[in-house]
Amino acid sequence: MKKIPNLSAKILAAVVSISALGASAATDGGDLQTLREQVRVLEQQVKALARQIELREEAAAATAKSASKVTVTDKGYALASADAANSLRIRGIVHFDSRLFFGDAGVTNNAFVLRRARLNAEGQLARNYSFQFVTEFGGSALNIRDANFSVAVNPSLQLKFGKFKTPVGLESIQSDSLTFFNERALPSNLTPDRDLGVQASGDLFGGTLTYQLGVFGGLGDGGSSTNTDFDNSKDLVARVMATPFRNVKDSPWRGLSFGVGANTGREKGTAGRTAGYRTDGQQTFFAYNPAVIVDGENWRFSPQVDYRNGPLGVIGEYVVSTVNVRPGATGAKAELQNKAWEVTAGYVLTGEDSSYNGVVPRTDFNYQSGTWGGLELVARYAALKIDDAAFPVFASPASNADGAKALGFGFNWYLSKAVVFKIDYYQTKFAFNALAPAVSAAPLLRQDEKAFVSRFQIGF
Amino acid sequence: MSPRNIFIVALALGGAVAAFAKNVELLNVSYDPTREFYGDYNAAFAKYWKAKSGDTVTVKQSHGGSGKQARAVIDGQQADVVTLALAADINALYEVAKIVPPDWQGRLPNNSAPYTSTIVFLVRKGNPRHIKDWDDLVKPGVGVVTPNPKTSGGARWNYLAAWAYAVKKFGSEEKAKEFVGRLYRNVPVLDSGARGSTTTFVQREIGDVAIAWENEAFLALKEFGRDKFEIVVPSLSMLAEPTVSVVDKVAKKKGTEMVARAYLEYLYSDEGQDIAGRNFYRPRNEVIAAKYAGTFPQLELVTIDGAFGGWAKAHQAHFADGGTFDQIYLHK
Repeated sequence: MKKIPNLSAKILAAVVSISALGASAATDGGDLQTLREQVRVLEQQVKALARQIELREEAAAATAKSASKVTVTDKGYALASADAANSLRIRGIVHFDSRLFFGDAGVTNNAFVLRRARLNAEGQLARNYSFQFVTEFGGSALNIRDANFSVAVNPSLQLKFGKFKTPVGLESIQSDSLTFFNERALPSNLTPDRDLGVQASGDLFGGTLTYQLGVFGGLGDGGSSTNTDFDNSKDLVARVMATPFRNVKDSPWRGLSFGVGANTGREKGTAGRTAGYRTDGQQTFFAYNPAVIVDGENWRFSPQVDYRNGPLGVIGEYVVSTVNVRPGATGAKAELQNKAWEVTAGYVLTGEDSSYNGVVPRTDFNYQSGTWGGLELVARYAALKIDDAAFPVFASPASNADGAKALGFGFNWYLSKAVVFKIDYYQTKFAFNALAPAVSAAPLLRQDEKAFVSRFQIGF
Repeated sequence: MSPRNIFIVALALGGAVAAFAKNVELLNVSYDPTREFYGDYNAAFAKYWKAKSGDTVTVKQSHGGSGKQARAVIDGQQADVVTLALAADINALYEVAKIVPPDWQGRLPNNSAPYTSTIVFLVRKGNPRHIKDWDDLVKPGVGVVTPNPKTSGGARWNYLAAWAYAVKKFGSEEKAKEFVGRLYRNVPVLDSGARGSTTTFVQREIGDVAIAWENEAFLALKEFGRDKFEIVVPSLSMLAEPTVSVVDKVAKKKGTEMVARAYLEYLYSDEGQDIAGRNFYRPRNEVIAAKYAGTFPQLELVTIDGAFGGWAKAHQAHFADGGTFDQIYLHK
């Protein structure tokens, strides 16, 4: 490369020589034939030198093209082979929350919380094989959130093995950093979280239909696998979403998706029941008695809808979760059915598109240049109802609510795609079983939950 | 979940995999001037294979200097097949990376060389420098265009053809070295491949004569006009035998062995040979060769085995680091 300037100098010298020869010819009127030959030779030299530069530039471009690529963006830090067949991307999530409750008669619950601190390594091998490994450093214990690998056969069929989200609930399978609110709504209490399994998924009919079909170990409501299956049985899980107008240009229904997620299977043991249902402020308002075990068939069914139109986004889901339980190892079995639903809407005030994959602000926040990022208002209403038959045999009516209705408002400030500040207000009203005392034994249930939950979030 | 349900799910998954296994993609890593030939041939093979097996096969091509291409495959380019300019480059796939077996050349007829070619001269219309034979290329002031033998298979054939001529004429290796040295002193630019050399000579208008593959020279006439260029056939040249092989290790890994093998075998079919002839390669099949006999001039051809004792010896003597080419060119 360093020789290119020398080549340029040679070309210049040759051009000057040609000019000089022309002048000489005009002055001296010498042998025209000889001069023509000299000009021809010099012209050839100039062309050869120019070609050498061209070849060196081509070689440099080819070398750059074949070199591995390092990419640093707000989507993470990535290394990739020149042909993009092999890559490694490092991503991360940090969610730092402040929870402020008021009007709750001195219950100790205000807190700073490191809700999530995750390091996500994703990679691709030989183009068609990919993996994901997500470690959680936040919360109360270090644990593996996701550890899976995939085989991409084609866009219609991708096989996934390992630990990952069970595809039942709409909001529960959305990335933690991309939900409208800091905390998912009440229906996510009834759907399973991450489980061990095998899944086939893909896009059909030009992407107008997506599906997931899998066999998983099986979990209780809101549960996440501890990296081993707790019983012999397996759950069959399926989810289908249609986006029928996806390819219809300019249709107002282009962003409409609807479908259903469901699972069925059998579980046995205490690990198969929920650890508890939580409010938007992450306080437990219902839990089965410690001795209760699940024993028998469980199934969930969840119709769901997602609509996006420019800055407007609306999601809705309904979940019914059926579980067979015993009060202990020997008690009589009962089938309980708990239900929940939500409607959530968001509107991006700064005009960017609302998306299931998150809002991408047109500009990043920069005080000095006067840009403010993206601003979004969100609202939702959700409700959850416990089966009346749960009381009093399987849960104490004195210390548990049998239902909750929650209203939420929030404001999201997208300082950049990766950095977001969110502040939510939640108000949750509890309902109680007929057998419950006039005043609940649980102090936090004696009044509505009123909470501000704010979050500084980095997710890339 | 019951065993029956598990069976149904497994069956569905297995069926889905099988249903999508009918599209096959091959990568053919080839040398520089075969673009047009394999463009035609790939379409014919896809049609043939579809009729025979029902599978859809798509062949992707990669082209460049033959030596450079071999290096890329050794370095990990996922070639199902290689169709290179000379056997030495495929030998390297065994010697360096062990991704083809040592006996790869015996797996197909004619030492795995389904077509041949030779080396001729391409000159400007009217042959203003009066190029007739190799001697004219070493005259002072004659610009000779030929690629770099370090990266181009065609360039090696060019070099060896000149060498063989000089040995025959002067009767000694020493004289041949001096002759070839003079020839390379007339080379203003060393391209990395034969197609680059054609660009240098035809489009950049550099040099008085390009030493070229016969097929590339004919293609230049076809593409750029017989009114601009003409072919000069030297008194002696090389019988160039471009060779082909399945890259066993890659094809096995990708599950494409059967199609890759069929792809190369079909080169020997009547249709494959005819496509070669149409693209100015000399067919092996005698019947097809007779059809194109009028296209190709007759000249004295020497073989790599006869004149140089095979590619291994030729490579070591001339093109390895410190070989005669380095001695000649570094002291240019």
